Amino acid sequence: MTFSHGGLFMNKIKHYFYLSSAILSGSCLVMMTLLILAQIIARSFGQVIPSSEDFAGWLLSATIFFGLAYTFHHGGHIRVTMLLSRLSPNKRRLQEFFNLFIGLLISAYFAFYSIVTVYDSYDYEEVTETYLAMPLWIVQMPMAVGALFLFIAMLDSFIDMLAGRTPLYISSENALSGES
Amino acid sequence: MDMTLIGVILVVCMLLMLTSGIWVALTLTGLSIIGLQLIGNSSIGLLMGTSSWSATTGWSLTALPLFIWMGEILFRTRLSQDLFEGLSPILSKIPGKLLHVNILSCGIFAAVSGSSAATAATIGRMTLPELSKRGYSEAMAIGTLAGSGTLGLLIPPSIILIVYGVAAEVSIARLFLAGALPGLVLIVLFMLYTIGWSFFKGNKNGVVDDVRYTTKEKILALKKLIPITILIGGVLGSIYQGVATPTEAAAFGVTGALILSMVLGSFSVSSFLESITGAVKNSCMLGLILIGAHFLTLAMGFIGIPNELAAWIASLGLSPIELIICLTLFFIILGCFLDGISVIVLTTSVVLPMVTQAGIDLIWFGIFLVLVVEMSQITPPVGFNLFVIQSLTGKNILYVAKAAFPFFLMIAIAIVLITAYPSVVLYLPTLMSR
Repeated sequence: MTFSHGGLFMNKIKHYFYLSSAILSGSCLVMMTLLILAQIIARSFGQVIPSSEDFAGWLLSATIFFGLAYTFHHGGHIRVTMLLSRLSPNKRRLQEFFNLFIGLLISAYFAFYSIVTVYDSYDYEEVTETYLAMPLWIVQMPMAVGALFLFIAMLDSFIDMLAGRTPLYISSENALSGES
Repeated sequence: MDMTLIGVILVVCMLLMLTSGIWVALTLTGLSIIGLQLIGNSSIGLLMGTSSWSATTGWSLTALPLFIWMGEILFRTRLSQDLFEGLSPILSKIPGKLLHVNILSCGIFAAVSGSSAATAATIGRMTLPELSKRGYSEAMAIGTLAGSGTLGLLIPPSIILIVYGVAAEVSIARLFLAGALPGLVLIVLFMLYTIGWSFFKGNKNGVVDDVRYTTKEKILALKKLIPITILIGGVLGSIYQGVATPTEAAAFGVTGALILSMVLGSFSVSSFLESITGAVKNSCMLGLILIGAHFLTLAMGFIGIPNELAAWIASLGLSPIELIICLTLFFIILGCFLDGISVIVLTTSVVLPMVTQAGIDLIWFGIFLVLVVEMSQITPPVGFNLFVIQSLTGKNILYVAKAAFPFFLMIAIAIVLITAYPSVVLYLPTLMSR
């Protein structure tokens, strides 16, 4: 390896970054499942867990947004690679630069306005229209964090390309070749 | 700006972005931004924020990651082996023998998994080596697998039907009911083709499988099918009875799948964690597409393209049948380049008003759409099942596509059948309303 000590340190940070994306998303998925099960059990005893359906929806949103970065890193977001895989290595590199650049633009827009939306909810002190009124910005927080994570993940791959490395998402896609 | 011009610009942008290899979900979002810019909308960012939020918080959508997770758990058990060992003795008398095991185990696995690629991969990993060991025609072994792997899309619980149901605002439980009979029709068609094939061609190709089973072995084999039957019965039964919503049934399914993996002795902490990361990856991939699709639908509504298209189609005076034929061709072409989910989300944002305008039932249309998508899963150059089987067997993708072609035709027959007899689709859902 030609990387300095600093490179290894960065790698560690990246590792924990993607790991936290996966753990946050996975734990929201598990919590959502447990909540739905708890609600079924409560109902059979004639009890109701207040706003459980809304909480399940918010946990779903958290599951999706938190995991975006991890999914991107592992080549999980689908795209058409049919033409891409026929290009010569040099042309393919250029094309991937272009794709990541457009991807960065869109995900930056996405992240910026997700954050603005959540900030607005905070600023206007909006509450959810549910039985248990929650401050909207709290339940929307995963949206802002997750969209920002996705942008950072794309930036990370872009920097990898600049440094002449192959981002993990490309090699994962090749290994999977269409497996979903 | 003129609507036709905006439409043309958007279609050109879409083709450019998709063929370049930009992620499908981001393409959808990008197209919405461009479209809204073109009509001079001034609050694009805020629309995107609220649209992403409402796209990901629906109660009915919570069934999606749960069914994905359930499939991921079962994928890591020895369920496929049990299916093979349980079904082989029973089917050994039917012409075509073990080829039917391919079809039926795909059908059964499809009833616990929502994905076509996962179904083909799980079953194929088990059956393909065994079939080639016993001397079956390789093309038929691959063809039956490719064809019946697509059953994962149609037979409930189906991920793609949930996506359609959420996008088209149709009851998911009703869609699940509607998918059941056409799924069975497909299984029967596949089996009939296999029987016919083994009468006319089977002997020439020299099927040497002469393994015989005693009645006692057959009864013992049946026992292996009990756990999976209980799981399917519990999950689908509770939806059909109206006891549970699809989401609740999915939560039962996850629990049942975990218990099953413990009973079958394949449960471990690492496989449990792997099943979660697998579910996370697939749910987030679909989630981002749904976010993009929801925003695109919103943007299209603002621009007014779907209504314009619907009015245009209405002015042509096509009969529903003619419209269906045109749409089928259009979707098959689209499906050659895009995967099934992308076809569904792109069409629901543009085509649905047109379909409603023509007086076509949205539940029927959902099942029709899934059947067309099934065909596209086994047509080159982009067919997910082809990719899966290519990586399982190492065979060239064109070889796999050729082997799957008869089953492509069987699905086409099924489409003709449900068009001629819509009650195949619509009968079961009507039972529910009572």
